[in-house]
Formats: sequence, structure tokens, C-alpha cells
Amino acid sequence: MLFAATQEVFTSMLGSEIQQVFTPITERSTPFDGVLSLIGLAGALIGNGALVCSAETACDLSSRLLCTEVSQIDEQVLDAVGEITNMIVGGFKNLLEPQVGRMQMSIPSVIFGKNICTRDSKADVAVAVRCAFPGGEFGLAVRLAAARE
Amino acid sequence: MRTEPPNLLIVDDSTAIRKILLRVLNQTGLPLGQVLEAADGKEALTVLEGKDVSLILSDINMPNMDGLELLRTLRGSPQWHDLPVVMITTEGGQARVQEAIELGATSYVRKPFSADLLRDKLAALLSK
Repeated sequence: MLFAATQEVFTSMLGSEIQQVFTPITERSTPFDGVLSLIGLAGALIGNGALVCSAETACDLSSRLLCTEVSQIDEQVLDAVGEITNMIVGGFKNLLEPQVGRMQMSIPSVIFGKNICTRDSKADVAVAVRCAFPGGEFGLAVRLAAARE
Repeated sequence: MRTEPPNLLIVDDSTAIRKILLRVLNQTGLPLGQVLEAADGKEALTVLEGKDVSLILSDINMPNMDGLELLRTLRGSPQWHDLPVVMITTEGGQARVQEAIELGATSYVRKPFSADLLRDKLAALLSK
């Protein structure tokens, strides 16, 4: 479902095909330089969706979305990556809702930096895909847990 | 009958989406007046106070005032009651679509969207 939602965004809004990249799953995340985009999800399940990519890939994503040449990270790029994450996670949410009930989404938060480390709490539902397109590779993950009373 | 080119209002907290919608609007080939922008529903109402607008394109999920609250406010107001509003949003569930239509949305477009389909839809609305 997550790859399908991503494919829809790329073909309709970015004019690009993507392929799924199969990589070994590691328990620990390693520090990385680049962009991390997060969107919260809440309903019967709570959690978040995340997109991770390098700065170069973020610029390429922004260029394709906005049909302008972008060479370095700025507010426009971060906004574009946030919106791409919003559409992908939103598409995934729309596919998931018939099974789990209505969910709300937060507005995106986008982080750009070096040595970014992430840590995820235990999730009841965890979906992750890695995708490749002509502009590079990026990772997507959605992690959800049962809402606490 | 309208003689002046219509002014339009794009309401979305994403500058990227506002830029894309502006490009799609310019590609309709129809004469357009000013294309105004707002980042949320509250800002949209401020813009509407000062400008005569013929069509609004609005997201749903926005801070301060979301698109459904904006729609509810417009439909409850005598001056903007009949203003066409197209919701452009990631919210694709049937319940959400139904909610927007019942609140008075003129049309509903789900993101991600095909620029060609959106352009044709907007051209049809602007031609009326």
C-alpha cells in the first residue's frame, strides 16, 4: 500500500517512474546527513509517516514537483519535500482507513541536517519501503500503534 | 455576465502546492485577473474582505482555520454564500468527500492530481 501511494504521487505530480529497492532490514538506524520529513497520524491507531533522503535527492524531488531547477536546500525545497510526504502518507492513510477507521493527519515537519539519528518506539504496524527514481533513492516508513486511552 | 477577468484565491499552507496550482491555472488559457494566495482559512477571509473573488481553490488540512471551517464560514455568510469553492486535498475517504459536499463544496479534487485533469476541470468552472 505504501509503495502504491508513492507510485501514484510520482507518476501524477512528479512525472517520474519509481522502483522499489529491496535492502536488508537493520534494527538500528545509522546517523545520516540529509532530510527527514515527518507527518503525524492519529485515530484508532497513532503514529507517523516519514520520508528520508539525501540533500541532493531532496533538491531533485523539489525540482520535479515545481518544474524549476533547484540546486541547494532552502525553504522551498523543505516545503516541497513536506508536501510530497503529505501526499504519500495521505494516500496510504486513504488505503488504510477502510480497515482501521478514520485517521487524522498532522501538518508536515521537515528537518535538514547532519548526523541525524532516529529512534522509533515499538509499533504494532510498521511498513517501510526504499524507492529509486532517476534523481536518487529515498526511504519511506509508516509506524503505527494502538491508541492509548 | 462577467466582463472583467475573474480573480481567484488559492488557499493552502504549502507554498509548493500554491505554485503548482498557479501554473495549472495559467495553463487553462483562459483570461484570469489576479490570482491571490492565502496560507490558511483565516488569511483567506482577510483576503476576501478586500477583493472580489470568483473562485476559491482550498486545501482541507491547514493550521489556524482548516478548509472545512472556511467553507462553513463562507456558506454562512450572505456575501460569499454562492462563491464556488473547489477542495483540493489529500483527504480521499468517502466520508470526508461527503462532508465537504454537504457543507457546500462546488467540487472536490484529491491530491495527488493530474495537472491535465485539474486544468480541464478548472477551465470548465471558469468558463461558466
